[in-house]
Amino acid sequence: MFVQIKNLQYQYKNSTEPVLKDFSLSIEQGEIITILGESGSGKSTILRLLSGLETPKSGSITINNHLIFSGHHVMPPEKRNVGMVFQDYALFPHMTVEKNIKYGLKKMNRREKQKRMEEMLELINMTNYKNRYPYELSGGQQQRVALARALAPAPSLLIFDEPFSNLDANLQIKIRDELRGILKKTGITSIFVTHDQADAQAIADRVVFIEKGVIKQVGKPEEVLGCASLVMWANS
Amino acid sequence: MRHGVRTIKSKFNIWAILSLIFIAIILIPNGLIAVNVFTESNENWQHIKEYLLKEYITNTVILISFTALFSMMIGVSLAWFVTMFEFPFRRFFKWALILPLAIPPYIGAYAYHGLINYTGIIQSKLRNDFDVTVNQDYFSIMNNQGAIFIFSIFLFPYVYTITKAFLQNQSSSIIENARLLGSSSFETFFRVILPISRAAIVGSVTLVVLEVLNDYGVANYFGIQTFSTAIFRTWYGMKDLDSALKLAGALMFLVIFILVLEKVSRGRRRFSFSTTKVRPIQPKKLKGVKAWLLAGYCFTVFGVAFLIPFTQLLYWAFLTFESVFSSEFIQLIYQSVFIASIASILIVIIALIIGNYTRLHKSLLTSLISRVTTLGYSIPGAAIAISIITIFVALDGYLADLYRTLQIEPVIILRTSLVMLVSAYIIRFLAIGYNAVDAGYEKMGNTFTEASRTLGFSTVKTFFKVDLPMMKPAIFGGFILVFIDVLKELPLTLFLQPFNFATLATQAYKYANDERVHEAALASILIIIVSGIFIFVSHKLLEKEPA
Ligand SMILES: Nc1ncnc2c1ncn2[C@@H]1O[C@H](COP(=O)(O)OP(=O)(O)OP(=O)(O)O)[C@@H](O)[C@H]1O
Ligand SMILES: [Mg+2]
Repeated sequence: MFVQIKNLQYQYKNSTEPVLKDFSLSIEQGEIITILGESGSGKSTILRLLSGLETPKSGSITINNHLIFSGHHVMPPEKRNVGMVFQDYALFPHMTVEKNIKYGLKKMNRREKQKRMEEMLELINMTNYKNRYPYELSGGQQQRVALARALAPAPSLLIFDEPFSNLDANLQIKIRDELRGILKKTGITSIFVTHDQADAQAIADRVVFIEKGVIKQVGKPEEVLGCASLVMWANS
Repeated sequence: MRHGVRTIKSKFNIWAILSLIFIAIILIPNGLIAVNVFTESNENWQHIKEYLLKEYITNTVILISFTALFSMMIGVSLAWFVTMFEFPFRRFFKWALILPLAIPPYIGAYAYHGLINYTGIIQSKLRNDFDVTVNQDYFSIMNNQGAIFIFSIFLFPYVYTITKAFLQNQSSSIIENARLLGSSSFETFFRVILPISRAAIVGSVTLVVLEVLNDYGVANYFGIQTFSTAIFRTWYGMKDLDSALKLAGALMFLVIFILVLEKVSRGRRRFSFSTTKVRPIQPKKLKGVKAWLLAGYCFTVFGVAFLIPFTQLLYWAFLTFESVFSSEFIQLIYQSVFIASIASILIVIIALIIGNYTRLHKSLLTSLISRVTTLGYSIPGAAIAISIITIFVALDGYLADLYRTLQIEPVIILRTSLVMLVSAYIIRFLAIGYNAVDAGYEKMGNTFTEASRTLGFSTVKTFFKVDLPMMKPAIFGGFILVFIDVLKELPLTLFLQPFNFATLATQAYKYANDERVHEAALASILIIIVSGIFIFVSHKLLEKEPA
C-alpha cells in the first residue's frame, strides 16, 4: 500500500475527549480518496496529522515506504513531502502567482523552476496570469493556483481540506470535474475532505465515511453514499 | 515513554529557547525586588517605615484616586459625546482630543507652572495691566491638586480613545433599543452605555493609574513625596540601595493590588469588542444650543489639555531658540533618536520571536509567557531602575573577577554603558511592542505559515520568507509606538543614562529643575511634535481601515 495510516490517536490539548481514537486507513498509489463526514467529525484533524501540523499521540503513518510518523519518530511537515490545499487557499499575498508556484521548488535551479512553473500554469489553464497578485484573482482562479502551488514540488501525497467551500455552486461543479481530470492526469495520490456528498461522488475513487473520528464505511462512492446520506439525514 | 521525550524535544526549538531567555531577563529584576522584601532591613529602612512611608502611601493614593476619577469623567464623557452625537467640529475633535497624549505630564507641568507662577504671563498681565496682585497660595500648582490636574488633563486620552473605540464597535441596536424603550439620551448613558463599556473604562483607567505610578517628573518638580521620588532619593541621597529596593517592593504591592482590583471590577464581561459588527452606531444630530455646548466643552478640554500648553511652549521655544539650539542640542537629538531606535528595534525583534513561539505552540507555558511579556508595563520605572542597577552592579562585580583571573585588560563596565539603559527600556516597553506584533500575528493567522511548511520550509525559513514580509505593517506600528514611548521616557533614562549621555527628555527635565523652564521648551516641543505627528497619522490610518 502506498499510504498506510495505522491506529492513530489524537486529542487536542484543551479538550477532554479524543478526536481520533483508533484511525486506520490504507491508500493505493494514484487513488483519490474522499473523507466524508459531518462538521466536527475530525476530518481536518486527520489531514493535519498527515501533513505534520499536529502530532498524534500514538499510531504510525507511512507514505511510499517512508515512515513519517511513529511514536518515537516525528518527521516535521517540511520533510514529509505531503502537499496541502487549504480551505482558504493560503496563497501568499505578497507574492505573484509565479512566485507562489515557484515557492516550494527549492531544490531546482532557475531554469527548472521556470519550466515547472509554466507546466503548472498550463495544467490549470492560467498561463496569462503569472504576474497577478492573489487579490487580483477570482475565487476559482485562486483555488487553481493553490492547487498548482501544492502540485509543483511533486508531493507523494496531496491533501485537500474542503477545497470548494468558498466557491459558488456553479463554479464548484465545474472545478471539481476539472480537478479530477488534473489529478488523474498527474497520477498523484490524493485525499479530499468534504461534507458534501455530491463532491464525494464526483471526485472519489473511494469514499471513507466517518462519524466522530471513527470510520463507519469505506467503499466505492455509490456503495457508501446511500448509507452516509441516511446517517447524515438522521443526525440533522 | 519514548513519545513523551520526543514531544519535549520538538517543543524546545530555537523559538522556545530564545523566548525563555527573554522572559528570564524580564523576570529576574522582578524576582530580585520580591526577594528583597524578605531580607533583613537596616536602620534606614526602620526610619523610613516609621516616619516616611505613610506619607508616600498617602500621597500616591491621593494622586492615583483623584486622577482616576477625573480622567474617567473627562474621557468617558468625551467618548460618549463624540460617538453618539453630531455637533460642530466633531470630526476634528475626534482626533484632536487624543493629542494631549503627545504631551508627557512632566512637560505639561513645566508649561503650566511657567504659565501661572509669579513671572508667568497670567500674573504679569494681571499686575501690569490691571494692577492686581494675587495671593500666591491660590496661584500655585505645585501641590497635590496641581499634580492631579496635570495628570488628569494629559492622561484622560487613554480613557477617551479606548472607550471610544469600544463604543464605535458596538452595534447600534443596543442604543436604539434603549431609545425605543423610551429612555432619554441621558438615561441611556447611565443605564446602557456605562454598564456595557465597564470593562473598557476600567481597563483604560488602570492604564492611567499605572502612568501616575510610573511618574517621577511631575512629583519631583512639584516637590511631592511619592514612591517614585522616594525610591530615587533613598538611592541617590542616602546611597541606600537596599532600602530603595524595599520601597520598590512596597510599590509593587500597590501595583499588584491595582491589577487585582482591575480584574475584580471589570466584571465577568471580557474587554472584547464585538467583532460581528452589524451596523455601527449612527450619531444623533444635535441642533442649536445643545450642539454648541458640546462643541464648547470639547474645545475647552482641547484648549486646556493641548492648545494652551503647546502655544506656551512654542512661544518659549522661539524665545530661547538661539541660545538653546547649538551643536550640543543637535547631538542631543541624535542621541535621543539613536537610543530610541536601538531600543525599538530590539523590542520588536524580541516581540516577533516570543510572538511566533506563543502562536505556534499553544500551551500553558506559552500563555504564561505572553502574560509575563506584558507584565513589564505595569511596573513603575523607579522600580525597574533600582532593580536593574542592582543587577548590573553585581554583574560588574562578577565580570571584574573574571577579567582579573583571565588577566584581560580592556575591562568592560556594564554599569556605565548604554546596555543598562536599553535593558531597562526592553523590560518596560516590551509589552507595547508585543501587543502590536501579537495583533499582527493574530490578524495574519497560522495558515500561511502552515502552507509554507507543507511546501518544505522550516519555521525559521518560513519566518523570513513569509511571516516577516506579511507582518510589515504590524512591525512598523510596533516600532513607532515603542519609539515614541522611549523618546518621552523620563525616570529610567534619568537614572540609568551614562554620565556623558542625555536625551531630549532628560535635558528638558534638567533645564526645568534648574529654574530655566523657558530653555526646556525647545526639547519639549520636539518631543510633542514627533508624538503628535504619529498620533495624527495613526488616527488617519485607523479611520481608513474598512470596518
Ligand atoms: N484547535 C482545537 N482545539 C480544540 N479542539 C479542536 C481544535 N480544532 C478542532 N477541535 C475539535 O476537534 C473535533 C474535530 O475537529 P475537525 O476540525 O477535525 O472537524 P471537521 O470534521 O474538519 O469539521 P468541519 O467540517 O466543520 O471542518 C471537533 O469537535 C472540534 O471541536
Ligand atoms: Mg474541517
